[in-house]
Amino acid sequence: MPRFDNSPSENLSGSKSRRHIPYYLALALLLVASAAVLMTRPVVVHGSSLAVDPGPRPLPADAGNFYSNLTPNQNAITLRLTQIFTEVNFVAGGPLVKTVGLGPRFNSNSCNSCHAYPAVGGSSPPNNPLFGIYQLQGATNTMPYFITANGPVIVARFPYKSDGVTPDGGVHQMFTISNRTDAPGCTTLVQPNFTQAQQNNNIIFRQVTPTFGTGLMELIQDSDIIANMNANKTLKQSLGISGHAQFSDDDGTITRFGWKAQNKSLLYFSGEAYNVEEGVSDEAFPSENDESTPSCLPPFPVPPGTNKTKGVPDDRMDSGEAPKLPVNFPSDLERFSLFMRFLAPPTPVPPNSSTSNGLVQFNTIGCNMCHTNSFTTPKSSIAALSNVQAFLFSDLLVHDMGPDNADNVNQGGATGDQFRTAPLWGIGQRYFFMHDGRTQDIVKAIEDHRSLGNGTYPNSEANQVINNFDALTPKNQQDLVNFLRSL
Amino acid sequence: MQAQADKGKWIRVILPMVLLLAVCTAATAYFPKGAKASKPTAPSSLRTNVGLPPAVTATDPGPRPLPANAGGFLGKLSSNEQQIEPSITTEFNRTHDVIVTSPTDGGLGPRFNSNSCASCHAYPAVGGSSPPSNPLFAVYNYNGANNTMPSFITSSGPILEARFINQPGTTIPDGTVHQLFTITGRSDASGCNISQPDFVTAASQGNLALRQVIPTYGDGLIEVIRNIDIINNMNANLTKKASLGIAGHPNNSGNDGSIQRFGWKAQVRSTLLMAANQMNVEMGVTNETFPNEIDQTPGCVLNPVPETVSNFTPGILTEMFPGDAERAEYFTQWMAPPTPGQQNSSTTNGKTQFTNAGCVYCHTTSFTTPATSRPALGSITINLYSDILVHHMGPGLADGLQQGSAGPDEFRTAPLWGIGQRLWFLHDGRTSNIVTAIEDHFSVGNSSYPASEANQSVTNFNNLSPKNQQDLVNFLRSL
Repeated sequence: MPRFDNSPSENLSGSKSRRHIPYYLALALLLVASAAVLMTRPVVVHGSSLAVDPGPRPLPADAGNFYSNLTPNQNAITLRLTQIFTEVNFVAGGPLVKTVGLGPRFNSNSCNSCHAYPAVGGSSPPNNPLFGIYQLQGATNTMPYFITANGPVIVARFPYKSDGVTPDGGVHQMFTISNRTDAPGCTTLVQPNFTQAQQNNNIIFRQVTPTFGTGLMELIQDSDIIANMNANKTLKQSLGISGHAQFSDDDGTITRFGWKAQNKSLLYFSGEAYNVEEGVSDEAFPSENDESTPSCLPPFPVPPGTNKTKGVPDDRMDSGEAPKLPVNFPSDLERFSLFMRFLAPPTPVPPNSSTSNGLVQFNTIGCNMCHTNSFTTPKSSIAALSNVQAFLFSDLLVHDMGPDNADNVNQGGATGDQFRTAPLWGIGQRYFFMHDGRTQDIVKAIEDHRSLGNGTYPNSEANQVINNFDALTPKNQQDLVNFLRSL
Repeated sequence: MQAQADKGKWIRVILPMVLLLAVCTAATAYFPKGAKASKPTAPSSLRTNVGLPPAVTATDPGPRPLPANAGGFLGKLSSNEQQIEPSITTEFNRTHDVIVTSPTDGGLGPRFNSNSCASCHAYPAVGGSSPPSNPLFAVYNYNGANNTMPSFITSSGPILEARFINQPGTTIPDGTVHQLFTITGRSDASGCNISQPDFVTAASQGNLALRQVIPTYGDGLIEVIRNIDIINNMNANLTKKASLGIAGHPNNSGNDGSIQRFGWKAQVRSTLLMAANQMNVEMGVTNETFPNEIDQTPGCVLNPVPETVSNFTPGILTEMFPGDAERAEYFTQWMAPPTPGQQNSSTTNGKTQFTNAGCVYCHTTSFTTPATSRPALGSITINLYSDILVHHMGPGLADGLQQGSAGPDEFRTAPLWGIGQRLWFLHDGRTSNIVTAIEDHFSVGNSSYPASEANQSVTNFNNLSPKNQQDLVNFLRSL
């Protein structure tokens, strides 16, 4: 797994962008090869759809750049932001001040191991990075049955507690730090029993969502989201589409990140993900994610000359360890949020006659009644994000998606079968689709929007639109699919 | 199981207490709102007349006078941390106007409760709670604003924020804060024309829930207490707790599953999230955690959003510090706990009685913080007098709001440190008399809510000898 090199950069302040060049070359080669393999796979026909997924567009990535109009001072910190997003965290003793705090439980050891494709900040790469991580440093983890070498990075949640009745819904991290050499004394943490959970039908999965353009999504005004929700009511009704916003318990504004739109902002999300995915406690969520075993909690003894772990939170603002901006910027979670905020949306490929017709078909059959083509941001204190028309193809609402998509997890105002309309920008280079990453075939992803209601959950709101898709001519279907792969 | 336990309580404990509740209610109503705490209390004759346990004879000695025994920073902050104390103090004290003129200024509204953290977190020192003279009277018409003062805000009453139980005119749960004021009419907000919420109608429909200000002293210590210590404490003394009718549970974060600690229902996890929440909810200052204006009526969104962001200007630390919300976070995170007053034989006995009556089974005397990355916060035993759990408090205190797993009648055990200098008590600031506050923990269940988990402890308190009662009250006023 050379792409997910776990050796940290030698020298923080000496790190330059050239460090990333071999990385990107390797990434590019590997992924072009993978894409070629995927594009030769057998064609699967679904329902009455005759369209074929042309597969993800090959690299180079049409995403992953910062906005070109950041201010010089904002630009000056982007290198540092990237370093923090790509750093590999150790339990203790990492070579950098910011590379300690992994675990006790974790899904991965770096943001960009999962937010990797087609560029740093994206989603699951074609080759699963977790195989390069799970036994690092002597860890004795076994790989859960649902993680495969060529499958998506997914996290596991248990809908119910062990009694099978009480709602749980939380992430159960795949791995522990037991027996890692950088966690001396921690030997007894046990991975969750995923096989048992599977037998009890009590496990669901969520894959990685890309972060490109999320700075724009964060700023879209609630009033615009609500106005869009209330537009085209008659047409939506005839299609069976409703949807509703999810509101923050804190300030009552619309939450928009995560598969169920459960998170308010990039900062909030960063704080959650750092603790939940990597086990790095931070200033938003300062507890270690398993406190049951004192020998698995900081502080850990560390070799001389390496960085100490002092205690919780693992990550905090450096209150003046060094005097200059790129070094003593606030805590990692602020840096993560700035990294994502400064990442421009993916760039679609220039339209051609097929994709242009595809967009027309997309809007004609009603996809756009949920996958709203665009919103425009209000004036922002970050000029690069100000008054930008964002073609995210999402209404940022949650919708009933039927029993076949339901994951039985309630999050805030999103019930067990409701999901946020996934933004479609960048799906032209995406590998895995739907919340659980169940398919790499974008045509199957379309068809899987259809689900008949049962005693527990209503019909998917997409059913009529999918029927419309299936009723299109083969050419129009294919053009629509080509349009999606152009995004 | 909870319901069964509550039924059992009803039979064993509650029925004999019904009359006592009526008397307590009468006693509460007997005192004019805002009565000074030093006034005599509890007409004990009323209670003894109906054959109930000897009732309250204690009187509240009132808040200890200034100087404040709170408001300092933690003693062991590093020199680098001390270096930014002035910057974070300035931020906490800053009066926000509407228009943003610098990365740390402005941003007020469109809707707000006040214009500065310190206006409400004021007493007995900056970072605390409501001061004796209500600061909102100097805020609501400031700069030409058209606001009228809601009737529940009085010049010598507590600062209260208003939440609606249901969305107005519906049965859809609301629960959010409805800010008292708008920027309409202010000279720095021309073009904005929005109305204040209709509090009169909300009050007449019983749709109004009020919450007072919580002091922030010691919050940086509370936020790092280990979850497992909170759970172990919850599971300690179970037999005793069961005999008292005490249960309680944590309000876990939907994000990382950890135990939330801040707010009247323990609905907020950390000082960072609280500071960011308050910045937008109380002052209307959008920030990197809550970047959207609460009201986006055209003409009222007068600044680019978010209104406070990381300051990207290179320079020395204090200038390039992150946004205001983070500064407010550090201010509250670094505030030392209040220092108790002088102990004497009365307060020492009072502490014993506090334990004997069972108060201590929710108002847990202390926790010890784990090792922390900020050494000033680590490995300290803190006497906060709270278990950081939420408990059923009965119909008498229920406010009808569900927040996370805290039900409409459940509240976090309020930490008691610092109450020796506090002016108002209970979530809605209903009394300034600490004896009334104790008695108001008693509430008989009804068809909507089970009995207060505090009923037996309050009964035990009422059964104490007059001296022991008074000593317990004196102990509380020594905190």
